[in-house]
Amino acid sequence: MNIIETKNLSKQYQQGALSVNALTKINIKIPDRAFTALLGPSGSGKSTLLNICGLIDKPSAGKFLFCGRDIGNVSDQELTTIRRNKLGFIFQGFNLIPVMSIYDNIEYPLILLDIDKKSRTKRVNAMLEKVGLSKFKKHLPDQISGGQKQRVAIARALITQPNLVIADEPTANLDTRTATDIIELMHKMHQAFNTSFIIATHDERMSSRCESSYQLQDGVLL
Amino acid sequence: MKWLKLAIKNVLRNRRRAIVTMLITAVGVSAILVGGGFANFTYVSLKEMAARSSGHLIVAHKNYFEREESIPMEYGLDDYKALAKTFKSDKEVRYAIPRIEFTGLISNGEKSTIFMGTGVDAKYEFRVKGPFLIVEEGSVLSKRETEDDPKIMLGNKLAKSLKAKVNDSLTLITTTVDGGLNAIDVTVQGIFSTGVPEVDKRSIMVTLQTAQSLMATQKVSSVALHLRDTESTFDKYAELSSQYPDLAWQTWLDKAFFYVGVKNLYNRIFGLLGFIIIMMVFFSIYNTVSMSVVERTREIGTLRAIGTYSREVTRNFILEGAVIGIIGAIVGILIAFLISFGLSLADIQMPPPPGRTNSYPLVISIPNNLYLVTAFVSAMLCIVAAWLSSHKAAKKSIVGALSHV
Repeated sequence: MNIIETKNLSKQYQQGALSVNALTKINIKIPDRAFTALLGPSGSGKSTLLNICGLIDKPSAGKFLFCGRDIGNVSDQELTTIRRNKLGFIFQGFNLIPVMSIYDNIEYPLILLDIDKKSRTKRVNAMLEKVGLSKFKKHLPDQISGGQKQRVAIARALITQPNLVIADEPTANLDTRTATDIIELMHKMHQAFNTSFIIATHDERMSSRCESSYQLQDGVLL
Repeated sequence: MKWLKLAIKNVLRNRRRAIVTMLITAVGVSAILVGGGFANFTYVSLKEMAARSSGHLIVAHKNYFEREESIPMEYGLDDYKALAKTFKSDKEVRYAIPRIEFTGLISNGEKSTIFMGTGVDAKYEFRVKGPFLIVEEGSVLSKRETEDDPKIMLGNKLAKSLKAKVNDSLTLITTTVDGGLNAIDVTVQGIFSTGVPEVDKRSIMVTLQTAQSLMATQKVSSVALHLRDTESTFDKYAELSSQYPDLAWQTWLDKAFFYVGVKNLYNRIFGLLGFIIIMMVFFSIYNTVSMSVVERTREIGTLRAIGTYSREVTRNFILEGAVIGIIGAIVGILIAFLISFGLSLADIQMPPPPGRTNSYPLVISIPNNLYLVTAFVSAMLCIVAAWLSSHKAAKKSIVGALSHV
């Protein structure tokens, strides 16, 4: 089964009087448990496609199927419920909540799912162990390095064991060595959790670790 | 609890701003409480003064309050002793005191002027008046006064006008119930002040017996019922007026023109000030939460992306507003308490109100329900301000929020 499938998907933005075609007739199929890269230069439309795949944006035309379901007419409320249950996000800028400790940041998605405290504690501690941040769990995000922040973001994205993780340039803000570590960690987590990953990236090392990739240019799939 | 903890952490994110907002709320709450406490003390004092002056309930002949008398005491009560005894047997009635109201001329032999007199029951009248009648010279009338040596108490302005001092002899002239004139020599027993110059210029008090003797009557104008609890006035009024429909009834409020006037004035002044303070607190909280919302737009986008409903985002901001409001209210209550305690120790005298000559102590008496209402309103203001400033941001496009710089 495909976790993502698009049929002639297009996206237009209105910039004043101008209409900008961000995506034009995109047809992709991403199978379940895939580790997929979206490649392309800046402005190619990969972030737009990623936002649609992450259910935080909607196409202007065409069909977008998530786990076989057309989400064209799904309400914002229901999209939030789907994201809460089935999706995880890793952002380029980490986007951790600064007033929450590392532990609390990872725990947050479980609180949204109303998981009891005992299970939450067990799962968060296990996840901290997996990403190698157990001893930093009481630290605040601004007390750890960029690479550690991205590890926290990966842990937060995977803590609910989602069907799909959306990663937007996850290594762009990291130095080479840290980026390599993060790529390895994401790959390892993909294998450990059997979770699909869609990663928008410029990083060739990242794309080389992906099982499949889509190349975009000027909003068109190459 | 976890959301509350998060709200507190977010409030403390910008400590200086949070503290300033809390202080504005606290100052607003304390200003409302202190103003309200001052107004409340004034209302309670004036109410008590009015009730003690006229009685909580005034009972008279059924025509007494409605029609003008063609001859004095035409609508007087002649069975007042029995009535007073009946009312006094009611457990809620502390005193049932007969009174005569009359007018006439008062003379020192050289100068005559008009007076407004009250014949009072010397045994009880001065007990109920308590601190609200200031005896400036001499003493109050005595129940042991003899018929051949009647006494009088004069308002201080009237005494000054007649150049009368304690133990001086004066003459009272009035119309009797038969329409004739009668005069009586009286000795000044005391000089008093009610605090109202216009009253003190004309006012005299004699004993009931002296007034009756002067007017050649056995009647009284009215019987004043003094209750044990002022708050039960209107219930008692309803009960007794239906029980005695042949008599005319009034409450202290019908005669408390100064109380009603001051209350209306203060309600408007303090109401307007309260509204301004509430608006100030509202916009302060609105500004604080709005700034916080703008600063945290990306964070809102992140929370929404990872599955937080927009209503949950709004709720978090509302909790933050409530935290600011509640802490501000608690601090405000403490400030108001300290101010009222400090003022009670300082013994500050307020200047006399318009139309009065006596200053009065500045006392802040904050009723418990005002604490509760103010704290509740403050918290609600913060909640509404937080909701107004955050609910649009929580519904903003997630992509737009995430790309916010």
